[in-house]
Parts: sequence; structure tokens; C-alpha cells
Amino acid sequence: MGKNVLLVDDSSTMRKIVGRSLRQAGIDFDNIFEAADGIEALEILEKEHIDIVLSDINMPNMDGISFLREKATRDNIKGIPVLMISTETGDDIIGEAKSLGAVGAIKKPFTPDKVNEVLGPLL
Amino acid sequence: MIPRGLGIIFFRWPETTSKEGCVSIEEKVIGSTKEIFSSMVMMEISVKRVMDYSGPLNNTITGMVGLAGIYRGVLAIHIPYPVAMAITASFLGMDVDEINEDVHDAIGELANMLGGNVKTILSEKGRDIELSLPSTISGSEYSFQLDKEVDTVIIEFDTGQGQFMVEMVLEK
Repeated sequence: MGKNVLLVDDSSTMRKIVGRSLRQAGIDFDNIFEAADGIEALEILEKEHIDIVLSDINMPNMDGISFLREKATRDNIKGIPVLMISTETGDDIIGEAKSLGAVGAIKKPFTPDKVNEVLGPLL
Repeated sequence: MIPRGLGIIFFRWPETTSKEGCVSIEEKVIGSTKEIFSSMVMMEISVKRVMDYSGPLNNTITGMVGLAGIYRGVLAIHIPYPVAMAITASFLGMDVDEINEDVHDAIGELANMLGGNVKTILSEKGRDIELSLPSTISGSEYSFQLDKEVDTVIIEFDTGQGQFMVEMVLEK
């Protein structure tokens, strides 16, 4: 089974940019799934085989922190790693995200090299 | 679209912010804007001038985010339509020939990244300032209704394909 990634961001622009950065970084996924908020992300995680999630924090309906908190309560999906990609990179917020299971964070703006540096070792 | 003549009231600089502090923040906003354009939009930009009034905005799209908490204010980016289309085309790597949903989303995301950088400049830990979701407005003619006693920082940048402005106003 190939590797699948889920991109979670309310900005369609940013989902496209992250997808492009993955390709430019030479990181190939068989399938790239997209969600506009934490609610959509949970629905996709319940239905699809996802290897890693790249998620924004500041989103409507269900933000990235609430998404992590809800995901952590579901035994069937709580082990899927989540990497935060956000403008929100303050120590307090990233600390909370990591306490809820996030495996790391990339600050916007980012370069494909930065994506490769952080994401590469997680795959 | 925003109706002609509808204004937006901005907050003011904190009274305790020194002139040196304003200059420092101004320099950091310039640095953040250049970094975002260089690394994400794939455009090299330069500072054209620093202004204190943005004037009437014609055929322009504005992306903005609000800051609340120990600092309150707004970070806005005003981009004329042709420049907004060029920025979005470079950002997304595709042809853009009208002000559509992609342009609004891209300019909103630029404001979001700038706002996030400003938040980091003002608060390293991040929990004492809240950042709003980005929003955009556009129209053939509109202006920001500024209090005459309010100080703002407005930086005009040149993209090589036209100019745009970044406007930041804060209240403590």
C-alpha cells in the first residue's frame, strides 16, 4: 500500500502550495487528500488510509488544536502522526499541540527544503 | 465588494510604544513581507516608500487579519487588481486573469502569514495575542477612515509588476 497524506488548511491556496512544496522537495505521496478544517479532517481519517497529516492551526469550525484533542480520543486514528504547518508557532501553542500528539511544526512561510528537513525523517 | 465610501476604523499605536519601537517593528514587518514573497510567492520585492496615509483605494483588494489580546490592531495588505492577479499567478503557479475566489484566498493567506509574523514579533510565546481568521474586501473605490490622531505604519512595496501596501495599526 502506498503512502497517503492529508493536508488540512482552510486556505485552498495554502493546500496547493503545500502540495507543490512536497513535490519540489522530492517527497512523493500516492494520494494527497485535502480538508478545510478539523471536522473534515476527522471524517477523512475515519474513511481513508492516511500515513501522515499536515495541519494548520488557525481554522474555522474546528481549529488545529481542537482537531488534535478530538483525534486523541479515537483509538483507531490517534496514532496517525500530525505535523503542524502554521503561522502560529509560539512556544505555548506549539507546546500544547505537541502535548496533544503533534510530532513537529513548520512555520509559514516555508521553503520546500524546510518541508523536506522536517517531514523527511517522519516518513 | 465593499460599497463606495464605506470606511474601516483602525486602532492606534500603543501610547507606550516608543518611536524606536515603532521603527523596530516597521523593519521587522519589512523583513517578514520580503521573506514571505521570496519563499512563498516566488517574487523579489523592494521597499518603495514608507507612508502615513494610504489614500483612496481604487480597483484594489485588501486582505486583513485582526489581533486581540495584549496588543490589539489590524494588519492589512492593499493590492491593486493587476498586481493581485500577478501575485496570485506567481503564488499558485497558474494563469490568473480575473479577481476570483483564488485571488481572494491567496491575498487572505498573505495577510494571515503577515499577521502571524507580526504576532510572533509582538509575543514570542503566542498565547497572549489572538489572531483572527483572514478576510478580504475589494472594490472600485474605497478608503480606510482613519482617526487623524492615530499613528499607523504603511509600507509601499514594489514587485516589478506594480506596487502594493502593507498597513499595520496597533493599540495596546
